[in-house]
Amino acid sequence: MEVVTESFRGNSVKKQVRQVSFGKISGKVLLWIFLLVTALVIIFPVVVTFLGSLMSNIEITKGGTIFPSSLHFENYSEAWVQANFARFTWNSLFLSGATTIGTLIVASMAAYVVERIAFPGKALFVGIQAATMFISIGAVVIRPQFELMVKLHLHTNLWGVVLILISGHAYIFFILLSFLQGISRELDEAARIDGCTNAGIFWRIILPLMRPGLGVGALFTFCGAWNEYLRPLVFTMTNPKLQTLTVGLSYLRYGASAAVQTHYMLAGACLSILPLLVVYMIANKSFMQMTAGSLKG
Amino acid sequence: MNRTRQIGFSYLFLFPSFLLTMVLGVYPIAWAIRYMFYEYKGFGAASFVGFDNFRRLLEDSEYWHSVINTFVYAGGKLLITLPLSLILAVILNQKLRGRNWLRAIYFMPTIISSAVMAVVFFIIFNSYNGILNQYLIKFHIISERIDWLGPKHAMLTTIIIAAWGAVGNYMLLFLAGLQNIPNDVYESSSLDGANKWQQFWYLTIPMLGPVLQIVIMLAIINSLKGYESIMVLTEGGPVGKTEVMYLYVYKLFFPTASGSLTEQQFGYGSAVGFVTAVIVGIITLAYHAMSRRLNKLQ
Repeated sequence: MEVVTESFRGNSVKKQVRQVSFGKISGKVLLWIFLLVTALVIIFPVVVTFLGSLMSNIEITKGGTIFPSSLHFENYSEAWVQANFARFTWNSLFLSGATTIGTLIVASMAAYVVERIAFPGKALFVGIQAATMFISIGAVVIRPQFELMVKLHLHTNLWGVVLILISGHAYIFFILLSFLQGISRELDEAARIDGCTNAGIFWRIILPLMRPGLGVGALFTFCGAWNEYLRPLVFTMTNPKLQTLTVGLSYLRYGASAAVQTHYMLAGACLSILPLLVVYMIANKSFMQMTAGSLKG
Repeated sequence: MNRTRQIGFSYLFLFPSFLLTMVLGVYPIAWAIRYMFYEYKGFGAASFVGFDNFRRLLEDSEYWHSVINTFVYAGGKLLITLPLSLILAVILNQKLRGRNWLRAIYFMPTIISSAVMAVVFFIIFNSYNGILNQYLIKFHIISERIDWLGPKHAMLTTIIIAAWGAVGNYMLLFLAGLQNIPNDVYESSSLDGANKWQQFWYLTIPMLGPVLQIVIMLAIINSLKGYESIMVLTEGGPVGKTEVMYLYVYKLFFPTASGSLTEQQFGYGSAVGFVTAVIVGIITLAYHAMSRRLNKLQ
């Protein structure tokens, strides 16, 4: 402190230099405090979820601390069986897996044709795809979608939801489109001269080269489908067996019984968050790059 | 002949995408546009009522409350999210120890389901045994419990939660924009004696212009659209304080037991959905026009 006041008054060059370096250090400290506090606020709910999932229900209800006094790992096994999380997890896996595969197939085929071949109606097709991303009338569309699935007898399983989620592939389509623009056309020209058909070029040349782009799309689609709440909720209202993790969890929040079983709820929340977090931490670098890159597309 | 085959092949490959988009994306919108003019409760016959649904909408104070709530919600969310994410991006664009870890942490909420987190946030924010209140009392920051989800603070709480989920996402988009600014601009300006703040105002912000515009637009659209976490956390309550436009639309189609809307109203709901989409569209276009004008002024 003394250094600062002195140098405010002082006029010697030496003191000025000392003031600057002091200012720099305190600036750095402030910066780090800001960064760490922000990080702490962001991470706090996740820590609460994880630690709370190891507490007994009484301890959570009583509150007072976020640290468990003893570790109740049995919350997981009980939630797995009693709150039916085994079923929910399987449903979530099925929904996300099928949606991811379907989306990648549909979007990559469309992106390949739009990027490489001239055909009438191309602008219209791209326009429709772009429009579906921006026009939103909210939950209104779920009703006609649901009625369609009833007619197709797909409302008694999750395939209906899968099809609806695949139909929202416009975002992945545009990501793959911009990715394809970076792949040289000369490769497919060469293959064409060698007698390769369009489908052959797609299968043997484009798909393997597009692998990083497909990885990006897969991660996005999987996360999106895993976290999807509204459609699984609406489609499983009459059929709780089909609930996914996100839906099953929010049902626990209102609890069928009088006492809300918060410990199951938090164990379930962990089950739904942790797989994504693990994948995210492993793929952190490419995750960052691809999200950053998606702005250009 | 070759050309026809090419075109035929194109259509074949586009077919799945086109079919799905038309049947599950475009048809539902057409369905809604038709039923806007009908009275339809989901069963029995629908009866044509012309513009009655829109007349009713004009007098539906519950809806217009939700419109105001949406603006408050979106405005509050943008006010917290945009400056904070920009500051974080600028800091984390510099060489800093552990910056990759920090980036990973800030971005983390983006990959977690907002519906799941709403469940957890309920445990944190509820007034009786919520963790937040207990810690605030423990550290003597407050003396009495704050009713975070009560009528007075519920909107603020939902805004904070929304900001929690969004900051990292926009930070990353800003980072992408910052990385396109060449480094020598900063070097030459610091040789000219510009300090960090001057560099931020006179270099970073203008050069980030185009990215800033896109990100703000995305942020506006997203915050007008989002209602999943509100739905799980408060269901629009208490007493409609956190009711937002799209949540109101949802309830017309899927009434909840606890809400004031208890019967399905597909015709009216379609009209409300349509008007809501138009409102969001107008705001987006207005922002677009405004930012283009600003561009010309510079």
